Amino acid sequence: MNTTPPICSGFESPLGVSRRQALGQFGGGLGGIALANLMQGKPGSPDLNGGLHHKAKTKRVIYMFQSGGPSQIDLYDHKQRLIDETGQELPDSVRQGQRLTGMSGNQASLPLVGSPFKFAQHGECGHMMSELLPHTSKIADDMAIIKSMNTEAINHGPGVTFMQTGSQFAGRPSMGSWLNYGLGTMNENLPSFVVLVTKGKGGQPLVSRLWGSGFLPGKNDGVRFRPDKDAVLYLNSPNGIDPSSRRKMLDRLNDLHEHQLEKSGDTELETRIAQYEMAYRMQASIPEVTAVDKEPESTFKLYGEDAKTPGTFAANCLMARRLAEKGVQFIQLYHPGWDHHGGLPGGIKRQTKETDQASAALVTDLKQRGMLEDTLVIWGGEFGRTNYCQGKFNGTNFGRDHHPRCFTKWMAGGGIKGGVSHGETDDYSYNVVNDGVHIHDFHATILHLLGIDHERLNFRYQGRYFRLTDVHGHVVKPILT
Amino acid sequence: MIRVLTCLLILGFPAFAAEKKIDFNRDVRPIISDKCFKCHGPDSANQKSDFRIDSLENATADLDGIKGIVPGDLKESEVHWRIRSDDPDDMMPTPKSKMKLTEAEKDIIDKWIQQGGEFAKHWSLNELPDKVEVPKLKNNEWERNEIDAFILAKLKEETLEPSTETSKEKWIRRVTFDLTGLPPKLAEIDAFLDDQSPKAYETVVDRLLKTDAYAERMTSEWLDVARYSDTYGFQVDRNREVWQWRDWVINAFRENKTYDQFMTEQVAGDLLPNATRDQILATTFNRLHGQKVEGGSVPEEFRIEYIADRVHTFGTAFLGLTMECTRCHDHKYDPLTQKDYYSMSAFFSNIDEAGLYSYFTPSVPTPTLELPTEAQEKQLAEANKAVADLESKKPKSPEKIDSTDVEISKAGQLVHLDFESNEKNKFQNDADKEKPASTNGNNKVVPGKFGNGAKLSGDDAVNLPKGTANFTRNQPFSVALWMQTPNKKERAVVFRRSKAWTDAASRGYELLIENGKLSAALVHFEPGNSIRIRTKSEIPIGKWQHVAMNYDGSSRAAGLQIFVNGKLAETEMVRDNLTREITGGGDDFIGLGQRMRDNGFKNGLVDELYVYDRQLSGREIAKLAAPDKTVKSDSSHHFLTQNENAKKWRAELKTAREKRSAVQKGIKEIMVMRDKAEPAEAYILDRGSYEARADKVTPATPEVLAALPDPKNADRLDLANWLTDPKHPLTARVAVNRYWQMMFGRGLVSTPEDFGSQGKPPSHPELLDWLSRDFVENDWDLHHLLKKMALSATYRQISDVTSDLRERDPENIFLARSPSRKIAAEMIRDNALAVSGLLTEKVGGPSVNPYDLEASFKPSKRSTGEGLYRRSVYTFWKRTGPSPVMMTLDASKREVCRVNREETASPLQSLVLLNGPQFVEAARVGAQKLIEKHGANDAAILTDAFRQFTSRRPDDRELEILQSLLSEQLAAFKAAPAKAAEFLKTGDTKTEEIENAPRLAAINVLVSTLMNFDESITKR
Repeated sequence: MNTTPPICSGFESPLGVSRRQALGQFGGGLGGIALANLMQGKPGSPDLNGGLHHKAKTKRVIYMFQSGGPSQIDLYDHKQRLIDETGQELPDSVRQGQRLTGMSGNQASLPLVGSPFKFAQHGECGHMMSELLPHTSKIADDMAIIKSMNTEAINHGPGVTFMQTGSQFAGRPSMGSWLNYGLGTMNENLPSFVVLVTKGKGGQPLVSRLWGSGFLPGKNDGVRFRPDKDAVLYLNSPNGIDPSSRRKMLDRLNDLHEHQLEKSGDTELETRIAQYEMAYRMQASIPEVTAVDKEPESTFKLYGEDAKTPGTFAANCLMARRLAEKGVQFIQLYHPGWDHHGGLPGGIKRQTKETDQASAALVTDLKQRGMLEDTLVIWGGEFGRTNYCQGKFNGTNFGRDHHPRCFTKWMAGGGIKGGVSHGETDDYSYNVVNDGVHIHDFHATILHLLGIDHERLNFRYQGRYFRLTDVHGHVVKPILT
Repeated sequence: MIRVLTCLLILGFPAFAAEKKIDFNRDVRPIISDKCFKCHGPDSANQKSDFRIDSLENATADLDGIKGIVPGDLKESEVHWRIRSDDPDDMMPTPKSKMKLTEAEKDIIDKWIQQGGEFAKHWSLNELPDKVEVPKLKNNEWERNEIDAFILAKLKEETLEPSTETSKEKWIRRVTFDLTGLPPKLAEIDAFLDDQSPKAYETVVDRLLKTDAYAERMTSEWLDVARYSDTYGFQVDRNREVWQWRDWVINAFRENKTYDQFMTEQVAGDLLPNATRDQILATTFNRLHGQKVEGGSVPEEFRIEYIADRVHTFGTAFLGLTMECTRCHDHKYDPLTQKDYYSMSAFFSNIDEAGLYSYFTPSVPTPTLELPTEAQEKQLAEANKAVADLESKKPKSPEKIDSTDVEISKAGQLVHLDFESNEKNKFQNDADKEKPASTNGNNKVVPGKFGNGAKLSGDDAVNLPKGTANFTRNQPFSVALWMQTPNKKERAVVFRRSKAWTDAASRGYELLIENGKLSAALVHFEPGNSIRIRTKSEIPIGKWQHVAMNYDGSSRAAGLQIFVNGKLAETEMVRDNLTREITGGGDDFIGLGQRMRDNGFKNGLVDELYVYDRQLSGREIAKLAAPDKTVKSDSSHHFLTQNENAKKWRAELKTAREKRSAVQKGIKEIMVMRDKAEPAEAYILDRGSYEARADKVTPATPEVLAALPDPKNADRLDLANWLTDPKHPLTARVAVNRYWQMMFGRGLVSTPEDFGSQGKPPSHPELLDWLSRDFVENDWDLHHLLKKMALSATYRQISDVTSDLRERDPENIFLARSPSRKIAAEMIRDNALAVSGLLTEKVGGPSVNPYDLEASFKPSKRSTGEGLYRRSVYTFWKRTGPSPVMMTLDASKREVCRVNREETASPLQSLVLLNGPQFVEAARVGAQKLIEKHGANDAAILTDAFRQFTSRRPDDRELEILQSLLSEQLAAFKAAPAKAAEFLKTGDTKTEEIENAPRLAAINVLVSTLMNFDESITKR
């Protein structure tokens, strides 16, 4: 856990290959530039199982981001004492002067509220989980639950940005972009970093920089797949242009480019040709992978009926599995709506109904396909929620404000020890008392599983080397196999 | 041939290279900066070792008998032993650092120590020389101007030769894109080809520099630097209107404002003597950073963030320094300190701004500049005069008045709450029984000043019904009550007509306790647009006090009063600038004791609340404070309650003020810089945290650079004058480098964002200095600078590259050829529109939404008509979901100041050009025009289309390819005419009277193909 604010002096030899460096290194070789421009190198060495610095334990990541800050208290972090003391004031000895948001910070009273939901132990490991998670509780033994996550941010904008880029302020590359930059792609017909956002959910707004490449080259941007005909921007040929017509057009375009290449010897033209060929292949490969409706009925049984509706969280979970099968390396889901400042009991019920079955189904599905062992699945949000009521507490209905000091995330799959519960919070689920896991530690752990030393994946910009974990981060070893 | 020469050179004179004199800046600094400074550099406070290798003094210091460097004596120099050591405990850099010195680097360091270990100031921190010698070369037929002399000299050093001259067609294409962002028109190409005069090239450049397109292209480049955006950014990202500033930039380039003036006005236009409206408008530059509105955010955290952004932008845009590195600690690599950072930030923090903009109202965050139209300016002058005239005609009441006991008239009484009982959560309103106040059980009825009163919880309000006492700023009003505070409140809301604190920027009126004192205000936007007064003494604790807020409708602080226990309280004026309405934002009624996300009046007691929609006289308030005592009337009481002339006058004045308000309300405003009268205090923030104020600082420039001539009370104008000093080491170099990058694809310093120790040294230092000096000497004239570049022989070379040359100089550092580069995102789109004839040639105005904004992550409705076809510089920029076409084509995201763009080639770009409606439609409209022009003549169509996209004629093979393309497509569309019809429907522009749909469709595909052709999207 970090006790000091970051000072920026991360510093290692740079690893990635920028276009300029690539030109310098492979300048003479034909095709070198095409490769550097379009693919950013192949995944790390085969000896290292795809890893860059050490053997990778996982090949890909599916990250189900729960935006808004799910309440750890009502889902995973069971606290009897909090339940017993419901209605009493939050003791100063617990709060310890911590800053609160402007939404509840000026409240005259901060009454504690325990969870009204029933908790029980699940699986052989005995993970405590609330009744809101009937499906997730069935995969308990696959899950490592981290109860001691913590952050510095107290509002969504900075919070999500921190969780996804390692800094509270805009401008840094997202985690997926870092991986893209470090590992390259495994399938040249699909983007290697795909983003799926649940459609039509209100809640706190998300912003595209969350999957942006920051100062890394733009090709490391995440590509958002939309739940419509054009899964990526202008994927489909215009009306009236069929594949054979497009093929013929591209053949002639290639002729022009090859003629140009012959005349000038400029190898950039090879890049141009490859670029158009890849676009053509994507026009076929993306509709294929997004055709969720081709799945058998048993799939929808597993993921739930929602999965038939494009853009739902369930459909996106299913899509994530299909993308993973095709070699997409980092699949980032976003599901907003967890920001329960008021009306939490009803709100969280609706929210878990939308997510519980599909989240569990994804793990189960990967497992039955033999893919869980090399796919890392992550579930969680940007921060937790307060143990006290925001606004009026009338005995049954209540809300919880943002809480940075502790929250829960879980991981399953490649390299993760199932059934582990890591870290501990106090009796009020307010402070971490054991084994805190900061966002930087969380990032370091994910990179570690992918065979990357988080201290060695860096990029020089504005005269210094940046990395995802800034100058911090420790791999959380107890949750690893 | 060149290669052979090199080999000879290397083989023939190996000793020469070895004995070369070590140049500190060129050879040593890059090594020690990269591998040593992190632990032995300028940031002494944050490194474990006492040894520093950032100056001769430090490097030779005696540390317990050991000296890092003893000039000329390797054996005595600890550095030598440490870098050569294999012992993990001794070796440098340490194994833990995961850094290594190469053998060559070790040799350089040793040799440097042997040669005397001289240090030199980092190149970019040396003053710009007064004069730079232009190399005189023997064989100089190639040279066209001074640039070429420098380039050629370097080429000779590298044993390279310049490439041959490019064709006139390619040159005019290149220069037209570089200077205007658009392709040359065919007529312009023809005119140039026909012009055989020696001035032909110059004629073209002169023509281009005079176009609006030039101003737009230059603006487009500047918008990246200025992080321009039409929305506030961060998370909520509402729209904001700042395009007027963008138009200021266009005008600046259009009139070729000198670059020093261009900088000065943006940094400090507001502080220029007799600043014009345009000069103040220029300072919007400093406010274009993202702004925050997310509920619950800490305002100070974000206010500090805004200031930081201004400093970083100033640093990157004008100084090429990475100021951000010094926000938390001294710079690791450059001689910049944390104190420098906060001294710089003190220039930019002195404005009356809020850390959050208002969620519930659309107010423009202060400080603002009003932008009245000419008509509004006239109306406003008239309205102001009408108000002033009336104000000067104030009627008089007799000095001496019959001193009878004052009776408080019920006239204008809207509310009287006596808090005697709480029935069903209602307090009776004696002034209007139909309008009781509502509350809940948490606000208790307790013994009050008279009978019962209410004890407030602080979390629960007592609210009057909707519309009660929703006063405008032209309405005189008065609110009086008995109150008792249980303790000294840091902040507490006593009463308010206002929805929220920061979330509504306090829009409305309010009476607060601030640090124990009463504070009354009328607010449009807190802090910059409001009037506020505060009592000088604190309100007593635990005692009933009678308090009244009294206002005369003048929109001036002088018209606002606080009475305590019937006496006018001594107050200080906190703010006196109210120019806009105070209504709106929600909660249009008066309420007590609580406000959204504000501090309530916890455990405060209240009783006998009166609200009047008129200004009470002091005597009336005294009577309210002491109803049992006799209160004698006076002249002012007479004036406010009995004088009929005064009554009439007040009504007229109110009407005049309302007229003025109506005019003011319609006037647009924009965020600008305006310094506070009293400089705000500025501090070093420990580790950059907004909460951790350390030492106080005053505005100052970085110590390593020249000091201000008069450092006392320095402001932004002093900073601007310092920046534009003709000897400034950085300003001209940084600017010249950016424009060199614009013309040649790569800066002479290839890290335009970093001229510091970790940046790349200039490839041609003398050229950079010569150009910079020439630029300054010629009055910072951009036309002069750009013309020099465009007319150089260097710029006129072919861009073709032989494999040998690529091997020798893959990055084209030495410019033995012209660079080839994908044209900018904006140009790719504008090219398609220009060639098709769809481009609207309108300059300036509000931003527009092309097709792709509907496909953005944050979709917005597309424009109709010309809005779809304007140049990309006018595309609406939404920070959280910018134009997806621009993003795909590598435009900058404009989150923060960026001075270069990374060029990539991705299949997603191809999809945009192949399938994007903007491009498909443009291709069809272009095709239609070709048919109109050439009828059935296919050959003419092919040649014309090819020329439009490449500026040259196709060769035989190209014609052959295009011919096959056309026949194939025609055959296919003939076989499926329905498909042709479908295809031709793309986009909003309707194609009327299609005679031969398959042919138009086929030519559409042809044009589309050319739009995707490398030569059309690459500068060569």
